[in-house]
Amino acid sequence: MATPNYGLIATFDSPPDLYHAAEKVRDAGYKNWDCITPFPVHGLDKAMGVRRSIVPRISLAGGITGFCTGMSMIWWTGAYDYQITVGGKPLFSPMFAFPVSYELTILFTAFATIGGMFFLNGLPMHYHPVLKYDQIKRGMDDTFFIVIEARDPRFNLANTKALLEQAGGKEIKELEA
Amino acid sequence: MSTHAATAPAALATDSTSSSSAATKALIIGLAGLAVTAAGIALSPNKHGPVMSYLVGVTYWTAIAIGMLMMVMIHHIVDASWSVVIRRQWEHGLAAFKWLFVLFLPLLILAWVKPGYVWPWMDLHHVLHGSETVGNDVLYQKKSGFLNLDMFTGMTLAFFIIWVWLSARLRKASFTQDVDGKASWTTANRVNAAMGLPLGALTLTFAAVYWVKSLEYHWFSTMYGVWFFANCMRGALCCGVVIMVWLYRRGDYKGILNTNHFHSIGQLMLAFTVFWAYVTFSQYFLIWNANIPEETFWYNLRELNHDGSTNQWWYVGLVLVFGHFVIPFCALLSYRFKVTQPIIRRIAFWVLTVILVDMCYNILPALKDAHGDSLPFLSINLLWVLTSVIGIGGVCIWAYLRSLPTTKLIPIRDPRIGECLTHHE
Repeated sequence: MATPNYGLIATFDSPPDLYHAAEKVRDAGYKNWDCITPFPVHGLDKAMGVRRSIVPRISLAGGITGFCTGMSMIWWTGAYDYQITVGGKPLFSPMFAFPVSYELTILFTAFATIGGMFFLNGLPMHYHPVLKYDQIKRGMDDTFFIVIEARDPRFNLANTKALLEQAGGKEIKELEA
Repeated sequence: MSTHAATAPAALATDSTSSSSAATKALIIGLAGLAVTAAGIALSPNKHGPVMSYLVGVTYWTAIAIGMLMMVMIHHIVDASWSVVIRRQWEHGLAAFKWLFVLFLPLLILAWVKPGYVWPWMDLHHVLHGSETVGNDVLYQKKSGFLNLDMFTGMTLAFFIIWVWLSARLRKASFTQDVDGKASWTTANRVNAAMGLPLGALTLTFAAVYWVKSLEYHWFSTMYGVWFFANCMRGALCCGVVIMVWLYRRGDYKGILNTNHFHSIGQLMLAFTVFWAYVTFSQYFLIWNANIPEETFWYNLRELNHDGSTNQWWYVGLVLVFGHFVIPFCALLSYRFKVTQPIIRRIAFWVLTVILVDMCYNILPALKDAHGDSLPFLSINLLWVLTSVIGIGGVCIWAYLRSLPTTKLIPIRDPRIGECLTHHE
């Protein structure tokens, strides 16, 4: 292995500390890094330079698929595979296919949204290197962390450590991979 | 949070001189519109068209005001925080109700002076298509306990009394809180909202039934009030967006609004677009599916002439399907469109226009020729619709602008104002 460790973790005491440190890490040009907080911190996405997620596009694709599935299913069953006139209605009309298409639009959108979110987050994930850090549970309580991964092209043990120190990070530790 | 409040524009009182000159301008335009409408009624050989067009105008602006009333009450009942600053603008909009009542009075007086002129069921001797009179019509007789002039008058008066009264209570509590800062005004408004929401739902439903649906009193639809409600809400949200962008550009709302406020109101616009479509489609679909003449005739009037040819209202219906649902729905899916002020404002203006087309679609086909076919959409009546909307709209905007400088720009002492100013930031 080129680098034996996963990366560096630094501790912060309060959301503002973390927020400003995140801005510094972002401005230093790092890409493979993350913040660990016990609760959502408003505006942190912006401070980290995280763009809007592409989940909505996956949802849209799911929705369009659902709508087309509904329409073609009703057409297939009623007007092609087993033609039978019901209630004097035409064999196919978007009118009565609409409720089914509408429901499938919602269903497939929900599947795509959940599925897309799981995929983009790499879930399910049973192990993550930060779990080895003995203080990590405090990240679910009262402490904030920044983790910078060693695979980031800008990662350099000494410089990255200096950046985190300068950003106000405490207890900067190396994480085992 | 306090830092935000401190950096908000120091004045927090709107520029009263520019507001009052704008108010005067709106009033002049409004009165001019009303004057042209009145001239149209006086000079037209067939006065039915302009009178019905006036009904379109009154219903349109009343719907928007009702939407604002409902939005303010929904804000209080769910204890929302994001909409605190926008709520104040809707509260100013509620000032229009008493003028809307004044503007509705001519129609009420006309109902007494010339019964059956606007709503045919008011005249028992009115001859229906097929040489039956209203008085001998079984369907009318069965519905006459509900559809009679006394009920119509009493209910219409009750609607406006309830709307004006609720508006006054909501406005007073909110405006007084600016001065004394008591949190009890917020809880008072929560009670007002809890009481007012069912009242609002009932009154807006009955108003839609009496004013619009009863133009074809043979018809049945349980979705009608909900359809009207959907338009009310969409109108109020779109007006909210227009006001937000206007105040932001003027500088008043700089430092108050952030992109998340536009995102939130845009999301509600999207939600009510879907809601409108759901309700309107359900109404159409159930009638189409059951296919019984008591119900289908209403849509037939809006699709076909008696000889089976397609009339103009068929195309207006398509404009509604695409213009009132598909286009706004697709546009509002985009995050960028929702938070870019010129774009969301354009969508808001578009939806406000299509709501007017929807009102025309529901009201104007009641005008019929000798064969019982609906008079076409493209006619001189569109001009009277336009003058009525400008006339009544001018008066409503005047009422809003007159109310605007009387209070702080935002509810500075609302318990949730800090949360609102830092919405998702």
